[in-house]
Amino acid sequence: MVSLKVATAATVLILVPCLLLAYRLARSRFRGKRLLSTLLGLPLVLPPTAVGYLLLKLLSARGPLGRETLGFDLDLILTWRGAVIAAGVMAMPLVVRTAQVAFEAVDPRLEMMARTLGYNRLQTFVRFTLPLARRGLLAAIILGFTRAVGEFGATVTIAGSIPGQTQTLASAIYAAQQVGDHREAYVLLAIAVIVGFVAILVAEHLARPHAEDSGRT
Amino acid sequence: MTTVRQLDVELSLPLDRFDLEVELHSASRVTGIFGPSGAGKSSLLKAIAGLTRARGLIRFGDEVWLDSEERVHVPPERRGVGYVPQDGLLFPHLDVRRNLLAGAGRARDAGGSSEASLDGVCELLELTPLLDRRVTALSGGERQRVALGRALCSGPRLLLLDEPLASLDLRLRRQVLPYLRRLRDELSIPVLLVTHEPAEVQALCDEMVTLERGRVVARGPSSEMLKRLDTLVGPDHEFENVLPCTVVETGEETSRVRVGTHEPSDVELVTPRIDQPIGAEVLIGLSSREITLSTGVLSGVSASNALAAEIRSIQESGVLRLVTAALGSNGPEVAVTVTQRACDRLELEPGRRIYLIVKATSCIVYGG
Repeated sequence: MVSLKVATAATVLILVPCLLLAYRLARSRFRGKRLLSTLLGLPLVLPPTAVGYLLLKLLSARGPLGRETLGFDLDLILTWRGAVIAAGVMAMPLVVRTAQVAFEAVDPRLEMMARTLGYNRLQTFVRFTLPLARRGLLAAIILGFTRAVGEFGATVTIAGSIPGQTQTLASAIYAAQQVGDHREAYVLLAIAVIVGFVAILVAEHLARPHAEDSGRT
Repeated sequence: MTTVRQLDVELSLPLDRFDLEVELHSASRVTGIFGPSGAGKSSLLKAIAGLTRARGLIRFGDEVWLDSEERVHVPPERRGVGYVPQDGLLFPHLDVRRNLLAGAGRARDAGGSSEASLDGVCELLELTPLLDRRVTALSGGERQRVALGRALCSGPRLLLLDEPLASLDLRLRRQVLPYLRRLRDELSIPVLLVTHEPAEVQALCDEMVTLERGRVVARGPSSEMLKRLDTLVGPDHEFENVLPCTVVETGEETSRVRVGTHEPSDVELVTPRIDQPIGAEVLIGLSSREITLSTGVLSGVSASNALAAEIRSIQESGVLRLVTAALGSNGPEVAVTVTQRACDRLELEPGRRIYLIVKATSCIVYGG
């Protein structure tokens, strides 16, 4: 349950920034685009605990985002909100990359057409780009959500594994195995497999190219 | 007919292989932008629509859309143009009705009722049976008609048509062209039509601007196009004359039409039977290779038409000659392909009065 709450919150939290970033990466050329893209990919390749440690340092009392710098406490360390941040950061690269591919598949000339019909940039994005890319974007959301569900390293580093509060599916499996509760571990394992299986199935179905939807022939 | 708002364009836009440098002042209903592919025609249209940034000046009526010195660039959504590209660019996630209504919000804001304009446009372009279809289930001709309809439903003040028929085969082009003509006659908004089809220029344009490698190389009334026939014909030296006509009489097998619509001429043509009421306007296509020249009236010929005409010019086209002749006393000019030998034998020269012998079955009825 904590897992679902954390993963949902993480997905919602990163969704808008991820879509905007992905759209920018897909559409415009700008200085530092490759650098940005590489930075965004880092959580995919870094050890999750490294990301967690980095966040911990950022958020600790004296860190750049800590109580003493900001003047108030974000209250993220050892809380479920901290787990949300960790899961969000870890899910971001997957969401951005999948969404970027989805946006790239939308014919930019369709967006131009919408502009000539009286829609400004934002209206064009909301009313045409998003619906045209909807399959790929849904896939991105599902992949991001499952990544958030399964996140372990960064989450335990920043939020710990407090049963009922910050203990997620991933950390619960680890805890069950540590204390030798194999029944518990098997049940959790089964849940994890089912969630992952369904997610990939749906995501792959959505990501399959549908020419009539993307507008490219 | 209300006066048409003037469009003034002075643009410079760097393209891949050359710069587009165009000055255009258009106050006529339909201005053709004519020229070979890659001449910069589409880029010009996109710049006028505001889809690419160019340097220079664009004024429409008393509005300034672009003035790079004053840093004015009105975004495309506020220019109120209807843009129809070659491939229609229908929104694949919307059905035909919702495609047509995609720009209707703007039309409503401008004071029009979207339902009224949807009905009108559907009638004009015969789209009503398509309304609930998916756009992926449309044929090429239907797609282009929907694209035109969508542009019209958005209440445009200027129509930009970028080779709207180029993606269609000849048969479909002949089917859709009459719709474009009807549209031209029923709307009082200016149209810029990019094309490299002489048939479209003849059927639609009042004025014509010819572009080559980004520069204007000729401009004038579209009838002047016939002065440079050699640039218009393909390797077979064939030129399709397109004559707007009015149906006068329809019999069992054939119809009689009068050449000309708004200013009818004294020239009549017998054509295959036309399924249109008396008085309807039709486009008749007549290939320059299907016309026989004769210096006197023939008797005992099967061809139904012997049109009196006066030769205006004789132009070389490879080994062949292209003769232009004005029909009747006030009719349009048509082009005829003949051999050099025939030219010499008949002693053809400008000013000479001749007859054009045309079989009824050689007349192609557009939209039929």
